[in-house]
Amino acid sequence: MNSFKKQRTKFIVLMLMPATILLVGLTLFPFIVSLILSFTDYSLLRPGQTKFIFLDNYIELMTTDEFWIALRVTVVFTVLAVLLQVIIGVFIANLLHQETHNISFLRTIYLLPLAITPIAATFTFRLMFNPSLGVFNYFMKSLGFPPQAWLASPSTALFSLIVVDTWQWTPFILLICLGGLASLPNEPFEAAKVDGASNWQIFTKITIPMLYPFIGLALLFRSIDAFKTFDIIYVLTSGGPGILTRTLNLYAFKHGIEFLSMGYAGSIAIIMLIITIVVAQIFLRKNNLLKPKDTFKR
Amino acid sequence: MKKNKLSHLPPIKKLNLTRRHFVKATSALVGAGMLSSYGLPLYAAQNVEEMMAMYKSANMDWESQKGSKIVLSGLEHPWMQSIEPLLPHFTKLTGIDVQVQKQSESEYVAEVPVKLGAGNPTPDVYMVWSYGQAADAGWLESLDQHFDNPNLFDKNWYDLNDIFSSARSFPIWNDGESYVMSITAEAQTMFANQNMLDAIGANVPMTFDELLETGKKLKNDDHAGVAMRSKADGSAGTWPCGGFVFSNGGVVMDNGVCVLDSAEAIEAVQYYGQILNEAGPLGVGNYHWYECLNDYMQEVVAIGMDSSNFATDIENPEKSNAAGHTTYGAMVSGPGKQAKPNMWHWMAGINSKSQNKAAAFLFLTWANSKPTCLMSSALGLATTRTSAWESDGFKSAFGTQAATAALTNLQNADGKIMKDCWFHPQGGEILTPWGIAINEVVTGTKTADKAMKDATQKINKALGV
Repeated sequence: MNSFKKQRTKFIVLMLMPATILLVGLTLFPFIVSLILSFTDYSLLRPGQTKFIFLDNYIELMTTDEFWIALRVTVVFTVLAVLLQVIIGVFIANLLHQETHNISFLRTIYLLPLAITPIAATFTFRLMFNPSLGVFNYFMKSLGFPPQAWLASPSTALFSLIVVDTWQWTPFILLICLGGLASLPNEPFEAAKVDGASNWQIFTKITIPMLYPFIGLALLFRSIDAFKTFDIIYVLTSGGPGILTRTLNLYAFKHGIEFLSMGYAGSIAIIMLIITIVVAQIFLRKNNLLKPKDTFKR
Repeated sequence: MKKNKLSHLPPIKKLNLTRRHFVKATSALVGAGMLSSYGLPLYAAQNVEEMMAMYKSANMDWESQKGSKIVLSGLEHPWMQSIEPLLPHFTKLTGIDVQVQKQSESEYVAEVPVKLGAGNPTPDVYMVWSYGQAADAGWLESLDQHFDNPNLFDKNWYDLNDIFSSARSFPIWNDGESYVMSITAEAQTMFANQNMLDAIGANVPMTFDELLETGKKLKNDDHAGVAMRSKADGSAGTWPCGGFVFSNGGVVMDNGVCVLDSAEAIEAVQYYGQILNEAGPLGVGNYHWYECLNDYMQEVVAIGMDSSNFATDIENPEKSNAAGHTTYGAMVSGPGKQAKPNMWHWMAGINSKSQNKAAAFLFLTWANSKPTCLMSSALGLATTRTSAWESDGFKSAFGTQAATAALTNLQNADGKIMKDCWFHPQGGEILTPWGIAINEVVTGTKTADKAMKDATQKINKALGV
């Protein structure tokens, strides 16, 4: 028996080994390196002259206006983009769940943006946003509205980025919600119909509460991802006009890759990580998403 | 599949070339009048032995590094495009195999510094985007020791005097050593759609005020008056706006201190912003060079002011609607000031950690030699050699008037004030806040006075002065 247990343990350890090595190599090791770097003034421009400066990078960050502006932009972008994606995603998922004809075809169509390489989609959007030659202004003019400087105007740049992010990632919410809807029991819906509830009442009083664990997880995953969005912003606005669309990730990129101040960039990355962990934990605990639910018990 | 320019060349027989023509062209360097723009590269491709004889007349050992392999890294740029098809000649001449790594500018600028900073021995040779940063960080091998090596370099054959003086002085770093070779030459040049100018009866503007007035008159529902870069990025508005600052009597750096808050600089940026606000296309605040060039070639913009290298694309009728009716002119200047356009030499250097430094040096020598420059210039590349610029091949590919304007602007440029900023070891920390400030002025987020004073304060803080 002991021998069997030992063999079993050995087998489990062996099976876990590749994933553990990958996890340590690709996640834990870079994290530790970033953490150490954030306490130094390491710069690729001064090889061999790195000094340990403890919390100086963090103090510098906290006293820099640009950091707080970038944080505000990041939060606004994340909240608005994810909120819009959740609203649209849940709404379309609910419609698709009720649709019986052409469901596979429609699902495929709605999920297409997820299958497109983000950078390719972003470059296509760049052309579409072009004020002189882009399709958006063509439609604006056709409808009698004045053309817009979508990516260059302080009033529309962030909104334009949110539109692109929403186009790309709403299908992710849709996918999770469709799966969630398919797993919900039919009885509460049938009972509501028998009791004469309207579609809107069913949607708000039954569907949403029962779907909440799925929406919560989708919201969490998307928020974490949106918080570190880089490609869309870098390609479309580079953080402009001025620094009105410069997020924390772009701010870290500027310092790390353009100014080669790896220590300072590391401290921004660590702060982003801390914010993500804290917000995610609060969200999970407040919504009891970490505990097993009895939602589906009949 | 990417088009190879050589594959579109006319058949060799039609060019009616002889060995005598080629030798005359490459030795006298001004006697290539019978050659079409593509004649020399094509002739070289099909007459390799004669090409080899040209190079082998140098009193140096081209084969001293035979069997080596080097990695050449660069960005999507006319220099890479024109050098790449010629690499088989280099391999045949030297026995050195060249592996090419090519990336977009943004990828290149993001990846290569990290590689070099980590002490990677490759690439062996690379296009240098920020000389100050690379030289100061010790990523570049000094070339002086190789220039003195008779096995690797023949000074007489190479003919340093044929190279523009600015291109010769550009590579000399603060310590007196040369770490790079200049490989291209470009100056800020105005390009104006003559048909559009004629339609409003205007001349090519010469001053900031004239540019503003002409641009405003040119702007209508079909096209904008003037487009220049102003994206919120250190590599966008800073270069053309730099020419405005210099042409208004301002500078970026003075004795290591940023002085972009001077009255001259603020006024220049104010003009830059006003011109783009009142005569620019909608959304010009998000324009990089690509958008400026593209809008001009599509005739949705009447005037641009950017790199002289744009002429190759502008005069290509397959790409440009403005081909054949573009007038190239001098940089505009501020009230009562002398025009000082911005300028640039792309450079290439050897990785200080390279294991193949001698082979890499042979490559640089070959790439910058007279025969190679004559061939690449016939493909429209603005090299650093007078002989290549004077060749009919180059004039045909680039345009005679464009070449004349570019040369004039190069002569009017002041390399020193340009280098003080762009060659600064912390160039990125100067250019990024400045680029953002230009964008703020153009998009109306801040006034020129506030934007430039804020940027200057930020830059000087980053520089520790």
